[in-house]
Amino acid sequence: MTPPPARPEGSALSSDVDGSGVFDVREFARTARGSHRGDPAVVALDGAALPADAITLIRVLRDLERTTLDRMRNLLVTATHKDARVTAFLTTWAFEKFWIADALDAALETVGAEARSDTGSTRPRRRFAERAERRGPVARAIAANFQGPQIVAAHVTTGLVDEWIAQAAYRRLAALAAPLGPLSRLVLEIKDRHIHFLSEEAHRRLADSDRARRVTQKLVRQSAWPLGAVTQPASDRAFFERTVFGDETGRREAAAITASLAELPGMTAVAPTVAARLVA
Amino acid sequence: MAFDIDRYTAQSKPVAWGDLDLNSFDDNPLPPESLRTLRYMCDVEYHTVCYLRDLLTTPSHNEPEVGAFMTMWNREEFWHGEALAAVLAKHDIIVDFDELAATRIKLGWKDRLDPIKQSLLGGLVGNDFVAVHMSWGAANEWSANSAYLRMAKLEKHPVLAELLKRIAAQETKHVAFYASQARDRLAQSKKAQVITRFALSRFWAPVGSGISTDEEVTHVMGHLFRGTEGRKLVRDVDSHIAKLPGMEGLTIVETALDKRGIAADGPSTPVAVAA
Repeated sequence: MTPPPARPEGSALSSDVDGSGVFDVREFARTARGSHRGDPAVVALDGAALPADAITLIRVLRDLERTTLDRMRNLLVTATHKDARVTAFLTTWAFEKFWIADALDAALETVGAEARSDTGSTRPRRRFAERAERRGPVARAIAANFQGPQIVAAHVTTGLVDEWIAQAAYRRLAALAAPLGPLSRLVLEIKDRHIHFLSEEAHRRLADSDRARRVTQKLVRQSAWPLGAVTQPASDRAFFERTVFGDETGRREAAAITASLAELPGMTAVAPTVAARLVA
Repeated sequence: MAFDIDRYTAQSKPVAWGDLDLNSFDDNPLPPESLRTLRYMCDVEYHTVCYLRDLLTTPSHNEPEVGAFMTMWNREEFWHGEALAAVLAKHDIIVDFDELAATRIKLGWKDRLDPIKQSLLGGLVGNDFVAVHMSWGAANEWSANSAYLRMAKLEKHPVLAELLKRIAAQETKHVAFYASQARDRLAQSKKAQVITRFALSRFWAPVGSGISTDEEVTHVMGHLFRGTEGRKLVRDVDSHIAKLPGMEGLTIVETALDKRGIAADGPSTPVAVAA
């Protein structure tokens, strides 16, 4: 296994334009990253022979990125849609994730792999503990009316945890096949800004309100990880958990996620639940 | 002609205004009634995400083409809001995220119940409900396109006219998507035609009605579409809608203007707004 790429030191796409540390949503929107089809990270894959696990992980990650609109819906049917700064972020976030999914498709095309795997059942995993994640928009909207505006804190926190999980997955992708290193770094760089915004929002909102902390604790406990996985085939979820978090490196990644979550105000008690669901 | 989604997504970009001399508004500012209309348009563009929410409660976004369009469309409309906000800022009218949030909070229970209502209707009607959304979207985009071009012509400000034409050019692509989706879905289902006709004729209102006061809607409709010339444009929009399968004879935009007492004849000169 080749070593995973290091996290970028500081992104050229920094959204902290005035140096104040506060994420600039408008700058983020202005400098959003679109199609990667001509990017050297994708082009360089021409002729590369990738192992089967790497191909499968690309497919699973692409399908997870494509759950973005479902996730948008789940957020927008709640009070989160009233926060114009958050929705401005989500607009660009969805755009960048659309093109990340497209880049993964382009990677599959470039190496001559099928876009879909014919093997295995498409049936999703059904666990009682994840029943809240399977709710449709009606149940979510009704529940959100009781939770009030503090649901925004829960959404940015779970979004942040999901990005940490995705980071681990893209680092693993590069470790599975060296030619995927540049593509992995490209995606990680894009996600750095998503993490910047979500982290800042989560810290601020959780520090501000006891109710926000309680609503968030509940949502963290209820969530199926990574977000969007609840609709994906059970076999894909098992593959993801095994491949990304199944060995010693993966367990260290999961422990790092637990530690990072525990650092957020009021999240210490629920932090271990994320890793518990991801590590078999 | 089928809408080429790959071409659209590849070409989708924020509307550009960096090359336009916005400082020209310092010497040649827009009159208050035009700023009021621009402010309304700006709010409508920024609130596109609320309309996106309603679309996302239908199963349509699971279709790759529709999902791809929604992602790009939502972003383009956000940028229309940004561009119009830049013009307003030159007139010391600041549109910031906190103010937009305050507007959404004011929407109250209706806004909270909307996604529930939309989801339940979608569940009851089934896949045909998507045709309603697509036809509704087409009507809105046709109206928006007409409104921007009309504003550009009325105002005669070279910088504003150029910006509005660029925005209208993107709205034209949105029209093409919604209309082609509506046409296909209506053509396939008589039930979709009946439900869509019922929804448009009973519930359609000018874009922005849900987020602005009646007074503002009437001002904008009057400012843009008062008089013979304006009425002709409105009838053009209605004629596009009426060409959709099962929508023959609908005059929803003209009816909306009549309800608000907007004159169908005479000059289009805007009435001066009281300070």
